[in-house]
Amino acid sequence: MSTIQRPPFSRDIIKLKNLDEVVESICSKLKQDIGKRFRRRGAVIGISGGVDSSVCVALTVKALGAKNVLGVLLPESDSSPESKEYALVLAKKFGIDTIEENVSGALEGFRCYTRRDEAVKRVVPEYNPQEDKMKVVIPEEIIKSNLPPVHYVTVIFKDGSEKSVRLPMNEYLQIVAASNFKQRSRMTMLYYHSEALHRCVIGTPNKHEVQQGFFVKHGDGGADVMPIGNLYKTQVYQIAKHLGVPQMIIDRTPTSDTYPAEQTQEEFFFQMSFEEMDLFWYGWEKGYSAEEVAGVMGVEADEVAGIFKNFERKRQTTEFLRTPAVHEYYGV
Amino acid sequence: MKENIRNFIAETTFTEPEKISDEIMIFDEGIFDSMGLLGLINFLEEEFGVVTDDTELVEENFGNVQRIAAFVESKRVAVAG
Repeated sequence: MSTIQRPPFSRDIIKLKNLDEVVESICSKLKQDIGKRFRRRGAVIGISGGVDSSVCVALTVKALGAKNVLGVLLPESDSSPESKEYALVLAKKFGIDTIEENVSGALEGFRCYTRRDEAVKRVVPEYNPQEDKMKVVIPEEIIKSNLPPVHYVTVIFKDGSEKSVRLPMNEYLQIVAASNFKQRSRMTMLYYHSEALHRCVIGTPNKHEVQQGFFVKHGDGGADVMPIGNLYKTQVYQIAKHLGVPQMIIDRTPTSDTYPAEQTQEEFFFQMSFEEMDLFWYGWEKGYSAEEVAGVMGVEADEVAGIFKNFERKRQTTEFLRTPAVHEYYGV
Repeated sequence: MKENIRNFIAETTFTEPEKISDEIMIFDEGIFDSMGLLGLINFLEEEFGVVTDDTELVEENFGNVQRIAAFVESKRVAVAG
């Protein structure tokens, strides 16, 4: 009977040790996919000033040359003004052209904000979208309950006071569906530019976003290639440093930039730090035991087993997002 | 009551009711996900008049048909009392 040889689980087990080779491998495939397989002349990337889209720019510029990469800034009414500043610093650093396309008008046309705010007001009637801010969160005590997470809306009133209410199904779904107009409007604009220039759209989700379903189907999940789609977040940071992504972008806390109130990705979706999540996910995906992972991470095995169960659940329930339209039905 | 709960789960998940035993763990087995939980909370309110508090959202109350029925019963007793 043969046994699978694998290294013991450790905190640096996913650390990339050969960054030049990794970058070369990604860039070579990018060039092949865009130029030969898809026969396009370059790339279009939505740039948010975050580390993921920045690393995608750095890799694509290395693969195709700066003159063949267009950065598109896609702000809307709820976007942080900081995003534009960071995106322009990035564009300057890597020498790419940029264009700004404000999608607020499109979103107003879709009644994105109105539909979202109507749902919020049904659970928090005193919410005034002109003055107050809102975000959707999962409270920590819910995460520990061993049930699938339920979401709460938190309204931050003008005077700084806050109110959080658990979202019933219809209101939760309406808020999410309305908010997803944002990513889908951005995708539409990116495809306008990619088709006008005969280029590919570069998708910027990382491995966790792809595998745990933290993206919008046909929104930020709508792209032709995803160069960091198989990289852990800590690996994305390694490549960011290696390729010279500006330090201010590397130091910036990743946010969802979806709702009016500031919100980290950890708070909105992942519920643990990237450093921890990378290691737990790797341990789960590669079949390490909860006991072995627990010993290295300094937590109880029961807690790791719960985290593994949550990963499995997320992977299953988000399969719909990763699956293209099913067309293998009856035909002759 | 168990049959009502079982039928609700079966109808919303396109599953045969006989496959949903009293003891089967509906979330662990992938029958229900977070949307299923939200739908179940709505259902308990509409069908049985039971409002679920935040602190009651635990596996002990929602893990399977048996536990859900017991939870509804305990809430009704508490209200009646």
